[in-house]
Amino acid sequence: MRLIRTLLASLLLLATSAALRPSAAQTVDEILSRGTINIGVLVDLPPYGILNDKQEPDGFDIEVAKLMGTYLGVKVNLVPLTSPNRIPFLLTNKVDLIVATFGITPERAKQVLFSIPYSAIENVVFAAKDKPIAKIEDLKGLRVGVPRGTVQDVLLSKALGSAVKISRFDDDPSTYQALLAGQVDAIAETGLTGDNFYAAHPEGNIVRKFTLLQQPNGITMRKDQFNLHQWVNTFVYFIKLNGELNALYEKWFQKPLPVLPVF
Amino acid sequence: MRALNIGDFEFLLLALRWTIALAALAAVGGGLVGLVIALLRTAPSRAARWAAIGYIRLFQGTPLLLQLFLVFFGGDMLGVPLGAWTSAALGFSLNAGAFLGEIWRGAIQAVPEGQVEAARALGLHYLPRMFRVVLPQALRVAIPPTVGFLVNLIKSTSLAAIIGFVELTRAGQMLNNATFRPFIIFGTVAAIYFFLCWPLTIASGRLERRLGAAYVR
Repeated sequence: MRLIRTLLASLLLLATSAALRPSAAQTVDEILSRGTINIGVLVDLPPYGILNDKQEPDGFDIEVAKLMGTYLGVKVNLVPLTSPNRIPFLLTNKVDLIVATFGITPERAKQVLFSIPYSAIENVVFAAKDKPIAKIEDLKGLRVGVPRGTVQDVLLSKALGSAVKISRFDDDPSTYQALLAGQVDAIAETGLTGDNFYAAHPEGNIVRKFTLLQQPNGITMRKDQFNLHQWVNTFVYFIKLNGELNALYEKWFQKPLPVLPVF
Repeated sequence: MRALNIGDFEFLLLALRWTIALAALAAVGGGLVGLVIALLRTAPSRAARWAAIGYIRLFQGTPLLLQLFLVFFGGDMLGVPLGAWTSAALGFSLNAGAFLGEIWRGAIQAVPEGQVEAARALGLHYLPRMFRVVLPQALRVAIPPTVGFLVNLIKSTSLAAIIGFVELTRAGQMLNNATFRPFIIFGTVAAIYFFLCWPLTIASGRLERRLGAAYVR
């Protein structure tokens, strides 16, 4: 009897402590006084995020994140994430923001805050050379591979619905390799990374078929981080103007920074 | 896309220590929880038995990946932020406890009823009865399924990647993403897992033979 009472009491305490959870939005001052900023990045999407030959996170996104730390004057703590867990990590305060090739869409903007675009991603449909695919309708009846939960996943599901058999993979390399292995007929994936991958595997005879969409990426924050969001926007605006962002883009993509519309 | 270098294999070996640490944590934590669950499951009180059955059904019936996810991210939702290690320890222990509890329940019930009656007749209370008479005899029956489960546990530590651990499997994935050499990388990862699990099975065989010495005719 006493045990049951103690259990009920502790359960009640836990429930009330949940209601008393502090809801202060994080400000730039908090980050400055803490001295470090936790930035979530992807490390499995070359050249946005990779593991370099010293097994450290490196890539375009990581360099932007490190530059952010320099401008803010704090130490950067890079947290390697995967596509499925980048938003849960952000929303549960385990990282302060993410620089993780996250495409800006209104649907996502309901849950998070986007900065002005700092890079763009081209989503391209790849398939074997002999397959006649020129537009999205040609994908009907084919098996198409996409990484789970990405913009192309949502787009294809909405546009074609059950007319296309979508295979969802856990990460980008699995998707690229699935097409090479013949497990799917076509994939919708990042253009540049795909070009590099299939150039190194010419036996697959894989080419670009058409561009599915052009997606600008934004640095992503929680809905209540208005103060940080304004700082990040100022940062992106500044490094675009002074050419640092273009220099980083040329270093990793060998092309100049594309035109990125701002909002 | 870069070439593989010797540093990459060192990277895999360093990631191995997280796998070993997680597996050890899960085994110890799961062992403690499993013992409690097994004893509850075989208790005379019906309430205790039903509580244990409910716990076992819940944790056996839901995926370990989701359990880890809910512990790690759910902690924040409830206002009790749990670090990655705490969540991993908690998640793995609770899950392993359910499976080990059932295994040990079976082993306890395999001990002849006469042993329990004799212990009672000698005046032994519940705890001395369990720890001096029943559990030592249940140990021999429990070893094969327990070791089998622990070997599986070592491999299911790869699920901790969802909560941010760069353990062996995830390290292999990250290297593959950088170098696109899946066969050599995942072959090496598989070999490392094998050499991690192999000594366990050897040790278990030795332990079984030693415990079974009393039963050899």
